[in-house]
Amino acid sequence: MIKVENLTKRFGTFTAVNKVSFEVEKGEIFGLLGENGAGKTTTLRMLATMLKPTEGTALMAGFDVVSEPEKVRSKIGILFGGETGLYDRLTCEENIAYFGQLNDMGRDEIDKRIKIMAKAFGMEEYIKRRAGKLSKGMKQKVAFARAIIHDPDIMLFDEPTSGLDVSAIKDVHDFIRTCKTDGKTIVFSSHTMSEVEKLCDRIAIINKGVLVEKGKVEDLKNKYGSDNLEDIFLRLVGEGNES
Amino acid sequence: MNLRHIWIVFSKEVKDIVRDKKTIITSIVIPMVIIPLLSILAGGSVRNMQQDIEQNVTIGLTRESNTEDIRALIKEDIIADYPNIKLVDVEDPIEAINNSEVRILLDVEKDYKEKLEQGKPFVIEILYDKSQTKSEGSIYIMSDAINEFNKRVVSERLNKLGIDDEILRPVEIKEKNIIDDGKAGLSLLAMILPFLLVILISAGGIAPATDLVAGEKERNTFEPLLTTKAGRSSLLIGKYLTVTLFSFVSAITSFLGMILGYVIDPKSMTMGTEAYVSGFSISGTALFMILTISILMGMTFAGIQIALSTYAKSFREAQTYMSFLLIIITIPGYSTILMQPNEIPLFMYVVPVLNTISAFKTVLGVNINYTYLAIALASSVVYVIVSLKIAISLFNRESVLFRS
Repeated sequence: MIKVENLTKRFGTFTAVNKVSFEVEKGEIFGLLGENGAGKTTTLRMLATMLKPTEGTALMAGFDVVSEPEKVRSKIGILFGGETGLYDRLTCEENIAYFGQLNDMGRDEIDKRIKIMAKAFGMEEYIKRRAGKLSKGMKQKVAFARAIIHDPDIMLFDEPTSGLDVSAIKDVHDFIRTCKTDGKTIVFSSHTMSEVEKLCDRIAIINKGVLVEKGKVEDLKNKYGSDNLEDIFLRLVGEGNES
Repeated sequence: MNLRHIWIVFSKEVKDIVRDKKTIITSIVIPMVIIPLLSILAGGSVRNMQQDIEQNVTIGLTRESNTEDIRALIKEDIIADYPNIKLVDVEDPIEAINNSEVRILLDVEKDYKEKLEQGKPFVIEILYDKSQTKSEGSIYIMSDAINEFNKRVVSERLNKLGIDDEILRPVEIKEKNIIDDGKAGLSLLAMILPFLLVILISAGGIAPATDLVAGEKERNTFEPLLTTKAGRSSLLIGKYLTVTLFSFVSAITSFLGMILGYVIDPKSMTMGTEAYVSGFSISGTALFMILTISILMGMTFAGIQIALSTYAKSFREAQTYMSFLLIIITIPGYSTILMQPNEIPLFMYVVPVLNTISAFKTVLGVNINYTYLAIALASSVVYVIVSLKIAISLFNRESVLFRS
């Protein structure tokens, strides 16, 4: 479903992502683990066609991020961390519908999807209220619905739990699991070992723009003879920093 | 570029802005209320001051001049026909000017009587305070009274010699205004209107332009937008059209505010000049051209404002850039405010901002030069294209869009 080949991004003389390659199977949750500034967001931005790769490319649901960005965008949904990024003066319904319209969905299809998602996320009560008047938890659910209004095959999550409280983090985790259950392919970036370990089928550790290791969590634990992912991460990142 | 996407973005942005009470208040309510209110207050106070200066001229005499004879000279010979000038008896003349008890002081030469009888000139010195508008403004009224006295004395002297005083007037000056009063009113408009138009149109786009890109970046709504099927150019054009629309909404409401003020109190709106703006006509072609030029200028500003908002890292940074833009635009507006339509050099019809001001002045002038208007129109089209190209280029540039 996702095939990343030698993906590289340079900003002037600085190389943010250096020849990163990995593949993600359909229905798989793939974790990108790295410290702040390791290149996770830049990688996801390239996969989302927001940034053009300097070298290399990626195939998303069979479409090339460099030559077919619009087709790629029709197949992906994104959820970035921090603020939920809603239009406060629009109702929840309008917020979601706007993204459906921009993804070329018809009005009937949008209404149908909103109805289903409002029920699934428990938003029925406030779906017609303005987003600015909602609690953070409510807003987050609207952001979930907005991300999957066009029923994308691939979901990109960039540190989606950053700055959230415990219950909001649980909501995000549940949403990621729901996406997996729905058969979506997921790339999930984080610097929190525990959530990566808990959610991901496979992980890749990225450090200073270079992918230093990838595989199943269990396989990595066996390979490095440690039961603690944090130790493995620090060993790999430390090695990377020394070299 | 996809027209459907442009329309979706445009209609969403318009809906979003219309629901923002702050924007509605600043771009619609305030111009409709504040402009007529301020104009009436400012115009009214200017008018009141003018009336006060003309109607209540209080004068005093210096200590040296405060004699019975001189008082009689002033009262009976000089200001007798001027009921608006009043001689006030003051104890401390200088202090009387300082505390506005009198506006001016007269110092009359002591031997004025002898000189008057001998047919020699005597001096009346007018003492005034330049820092007081009313004091300075009273000089010409007093001078007028003294001149009338002069004429009368000269006439009497000539009559004694058996000479008609017409001999002193070999030429009589007559003034005749060759344009109708409506057009005279327009020349006042030609000074103020183009300047106001430029400022109002550029100011109207500031709030939406700042919000639609820099604001989106800050609220984290921008990145999800970039991952929709809509291309960046479609997103930009949708936002650009929104800014253009609100530039005009603001300008139109400001004009409505001015018209409202004129209807309520025409004299105050024209700062007491009593110019009136009815009874004139502008040809349909000229009106069409000037409206097109104004719309094109609004579109140029919208392009620049969207470009600045795209370049800005934050909402605040965008606001700073917009303030600079407004200051820059004010300069050509101010520098041409007194320029009359027939004085505008050709190059001004091709310079940004100045071309719109010049076109407006031309249309409000006596003779409309359609070639010059066409030049202004053509240059405006070029600036729209240039500003839009800059905005699209910045909007598509990663280093600008994700500047941090």
